[in-house]
Amino acid sequence: MKILIAIDGSRASLGTLHFAAQFVQRAGEPPTILCVIERESDQRSKQAEDTFNTARDILAVPEIETMLRTGHPVQEIVRETESCKFDLLIIGEMRSNFLTQIFKGPPAARIAACTPCPVVIAKGDRRPIKRILLCDSGSGRSEALNRFTARLGKMLEGEEDITVLHVMSQISAGPGVKGGQLRASADELIQEHTPEGVLLERDLQALDQPGVHPTPKVRHGLVVDEIIKETRSGGYDLVIIGAHQGEKWRQLLLDNLAVEILKRVDRPVLVVK
Amino acid sequence: MEHKPSSPTPGQNPAEIIDSFPVTSDLSVEAEPRLRWWKHIKLAKIGLFILSLYLFILAITLMKTGARGLTPFLSDLGILSNPANSLGFGWLFAYLIMSGSPVAAAALTFFDAGVVNEISAFTMITGSRLGASFIVLFIGFIYVLRGRDRATSLSMGILSLTVTATTYFPGLLIGIYLLNTGAVDDIQLHTGALLSSVTGTLVEPIAGLLMGIFPFWAVFLIGLGIILVSFNLFDKCLPQMSLKESRVGWVSRLVYRPVVMFFLGALVTMISMSVSVSLSLLIPLSQRGFVRRENVIPYIMGANITTFIDTLLAAVLLDNPATFTIVLVSMLSTAAASILILVFFYRPYLKSSLLFVGWVTSSSRNLAIFMITIFIIPIILILI
Repeated sequence: MKILIAIDGSRASLGTLHFAAQFVQRAGEPPTILCVIERESDQRSKQAEDTFNTARDILAVPEIETMLRTGHPVQEIVRETESCKFDLLIIGEMRSNFLTQIFKGPPAARIAACTPCPVVIAKGDRRPIKRILLCDSGSGRSEALNRFTARLGKMLEGEEDITVLHVMSQISAGPGVKGGQLRASADELIQEHTPEGVLLERDLQALDQPGVHPTPKVRHGLVVDEIIKETRSGGYDLVIIGAHQGEKWRQLLLDNLAVEILKRVDRPVLVVK
Repeated sequence: MEHKPSSPTPGQNPAEIIDSFPVTSDLSVEAEPRLRWWKHIKLAKIGLFILSLYLFILAITLMKTGARGLTPFLSDLGILSNPANSLGFGWLFAYLIMSGSPVAAAALTFFDAGVVNEISAFTMITGSRLGASFIVLFIGFIYVLRGRDRATSLSMGILSLTVTATTYFPGLLIGIYLLNTGAVDDIQLHTGALLSSVTGTLVEPIAGLLMGIFPFWAVFLIGLGIILVSFNLFDKCLPQMSLKESRVGWVSRLVYRPVVMFFLGALVTMISMSVSVSLSLLIPLSQRGFVRRENVIPYIMGANITTFIDTLLAAVLLDNPATFTIVLVSMLSTAAASILILVFFYRPYLKSSLLFVGWVTSSSRNLAIFMITIFIIPIILILI
């Protein structure tokens, strides 16, 4: 797997590199470190060179490729991934000014929206990945989510517990509707072969491989709120979500829940495309 | 099995309404051969639509004349002497006849006859909408009495009433400001006089006959009865939508931007003219009759604005520019309150509304408190 790690040379980048080390050591190919600096100067170039040397030490791989770009970080990172050479992009939690955050959203979310490859945003509490939360909405990205998560399981060391979460935010649309499923657990939904049950069962089958221990879970409530509650109560090390659906009309009509989750989750997030 | 969507209509027997709601979850899907669009047009429905429109015009004419005769009686009774009274009166009246539109039309005819002033007519219309939002809750309540699950049966009704109350009350303040300042007085439809003369010619023979036989108060009540029948017939004109999961089921599965659901609710209600009908149309959208929590609230907000469309038509038929202004203000103030919530407070509003619904349905005691409150408030308002 070809991995691109994008950093800006700051101290915060070190945390991103430590987290990325878990992925690159069994990736099979040398990672590429992209350092983007906003204004070129001798001091910054020197700082970048130091960052590359530190990256070699932290990642502990025999070989790394390095790239130095000058410009806007979001644009430069997206441009690099558009070459389609990479299977995974790892970035840190990037900062931007308040107004940009309000009108354009967080830089990490913008990168996740524009890059063609899956993106890990190493934010918040970064620990060795042992517990993974896979959020499956069942709206078209399930297959990609499962495929990538299974691949990820092989890359990571040891055994991982994966909780496959589906949030049912439905309520009955009218008084005469039978609502037993609106309170059912994952096991009950699987037994009853409801659409959510079928989805979870399919996810479990896709993730059934050595070293991976998947568990289905259903929560009832607002989608984003329930995902946030689960990430906090479950002590997960990585949250996996599908990207906002990008087809023309859907992008206009659908709410971008991926951005909401990215804004509010306090731990690393993998956005699968 | 093809599902015929339920449509609780004004004045409809509650038992009929209940039976029209889908009870089973197997609203199965059958493939239908594709027909040309003109083959979907049913002449009987067009006939029914013309009849319902005629009855609506006749009803407005009768209510307009009858209301003049009611003036001394209502003045003596003192239940419409201030805006708070008329808010409570409109609210309770809509409970009583299980519909808001006839009450809103009555408010306009009362204003036209001089029974109430501009602000009182506006608050009575607001009250009528609050009362109308009780319909879905009432149906759910009967389901609970029949032994159905409380949360499932009542959630949508309580949510509808909560959203309506929390948008109409701030809207009330905006509306009173707009009426007092006369900010929208200049916006008028100039076809009112022409339309009134044309429709007057059409309904005059029957209206004249009834007015010659019955006293004013009876003419008003006959008009009220006819308007209920006209809404009932209009609901029957709506296409029998066998909405298939394969065609539009996506509406129930995905989470839409609030603005999308807001406009969808407004559009569907503009056609159906009733919030309860447009809410019932959500049921067959998914095979199981479920809808996403995130989607419902903006849908109800949009529906609450265009539900005034029939009242707007009544205002045009009355050919009194001030009545048009009152309805326009009702629409604008509700829209302004809804947009403010959607833009600035949507997430906390969504969460607190759902929390409130959860609280009400969590115990019989809470439900009883809620039900008593929604009956006591309008009574207190009438007594102020």
